[in-house]
Amino acid sequence: MENKRVDDHEIQTTVPVRVDRFGFVKHEQNPPEALMSSKSASEYEREERRIRKWRKMIGVGGSDWKHYVRRKPHVVKRRIRKGIPDCLRGLVWQLISGSRDLLLMNPGVYEQLVIYETSASELDIIRDISRTFPSHVFFQQRHGPGQRSLYNVLKAYSVFDRDVGYVQGMGFIAGLLLLYMSEEDAFWLLVALLKGAVHSPMEGLYLAGLPLVQQYLFQFDHLVKEQLPKLGEHFAQEMINPSMYASQWFITVFSYSFPFHLAIRIWDVFLYEGVKIVFKVGLALLKYCHDDLVKLPFEKLIHGLRNFPEDALNPDVLLPLAYSIKVSKSLEDLKQEYEKQTAKTVEGLVKQEKQQP
Amino acid sequence: MARRPDEEYDYLFKVVLIGDSGVGKSNLLSRFTRNEFCLESKSTIGVEFATRTLQVEGRTIKAQIWDTAGQERYRAITSAYYRGALGALLVYDVTKPTTFDNVSRWLKELRDHADSNIVIMLIGNKTDLKHLRAVATEDAQSFAEKEGLSFIETSALEATNVEKAFQTILGEIYRIISKKSLSSGEPAANIKEGQTLVVEAEDTNAKKPCCSS
Repeated sequence: MENKRVDDHEIQTTVPVRVDRFGFVKHEQNPPEALMSSKSASEYEREERRIRKWRKMIGVGGSDWKHYVRRKPHVVKRRIRKGIPDCLRGLVWQLISGSRDLLLMNPGVYEQLVIYETSASELDIIRDISRTFPSHVFFQQRHGPGQRSLYNVLKAYSVFDRDVGYVQGMGFIAGLLLLYMSEEDAFWLLVALLKGAVHSPMEGLYLAGLPLVQQYLFQFDHLVKEQLPKLGEHFAQEMINPSMYASQWFITVFSYSFPFHLAIRIWDVFLYEGVKIVFKVGLALLKYCHDDLVKLPFEKLIHGLRNFPEDALNPDVLLPLAYSIKVSKSLEDLKQEYEKQTAKTVEGLVKQEKQQP
Repeated sequence: MARRPDEEYDYLFKVVLIGDSGVGKSNLLSRFTRNEFCLESKSTIGVEFATRTLQVEGRTIKAQIWDTAGQERYRAITSAYYRGALGALLVYDVTKPTTFDNVSRWLKELRDHADSNIVIMLIGNKTDLKHLRAVATEDAQSFAEKEGLSFIETSALEATNVEKAFQTILGEIYRIISKKSLSSGEPAANIKEGQTLVVEAEDTNAKKPCCSS
């Protein structure tokens, strides 16, 4: 088995593994982390105050949440944009995604899916388990609790929605959720996202033909041309298109290759405001690195688009820039344009087929 | 634009890495381009890209390699990358017979989406897992002969034959190209410094219509 290779690298119980505050194994000195640990006393106090505010807003077990959101949606939005306190993140994610309601409405369903059903994707899922967040302690141990729950959630989903089944990339989303909540909670959050409990459904990212990925890439391509014309032109000249660098951004909502402390801040906003934030963050990255990117030739450009400098990946720099970018109107227009275009292509194909004997 | 000396090359060849998920495509690429093997590698989402410049038959060749996600559903995105590729490395895992069985499906993918004169090399990877081998070398060899592909077995982990695999396919591409430019009367050096190489053109139209039902 291929997993045999992983054995050699399994987490050793005798040697203590150095991990960052999120549980990822540290390979080298991580500067942002170093900054975090040197928090001053006043910063801790501020953090404490922030948590108290959040607790009050949520109420016991989330009891006051809906009421608060209805009364003060803008306060909630502002606070979420500043980042949900890590200790409350799992709970808040479930509240804002609508997954908590799904869980309560469907008692016993998850257990049924995990225990009694079989999935055509089981082998595909197993093959990828050790290749999902391989540097996180929770997922490193072969057949350990992390890998088991990741398998269960993905298998349950592949049974719950057989059209989607299992697609690579879903594992990173499930994995990220599992670092903040139980298996069953993570499963229902996945359902809430893909089926569209609050925002438009995400399942098109994973359905045959990856239709939503194609649409998002089309929209992103046009947004770049619209909002960063000089860079857009440079990309066109160098024959760079978003499928070369941005498909993972959409398919995994930045959980695949971005620093974890940034990914979760994006997720805070993503769950409350929807996919818009993925476009905004993508544009913000390009905008922040604009002056460097316009100078690079093809290969260096591709490299640059996959390896953004550390300062660009600082959430407190990148996110405010992202919030300042407006995309809603363009996204809507581009969606219609895309639908028109694809309808035409389909029509053309049908015609072609008819003409053929 | 002036090139720095380290970026000079005679030819630029685009090559794609395809094959089932988990067969080791990304590690073959990292072994070839950076001499690295990553035990903790993540599954590839979408496409990845790397290059390496090397000497092949006395020429400086720059290989521009696109590594693709192996899962079937990703073909919606990845098949666009076959276009204009001069070579394809079709990888299977010698310990997993299904990945070898699927090779013919990958060949069909190439016939449907790639240029008809693309050079294809079949690669059986993970030969380091000797005790788990499940696809015999002879079977793959005779399959490759039947289909007109070159064939090699590799271990990205032990760095066995990786260099040779890339050398071979790049050499084959080079020989075809230099023959072509001879017959068309153009000096081969004309292709120098191009972003992409234009040898695909002439018989793409002659591509056989596929026999899909």
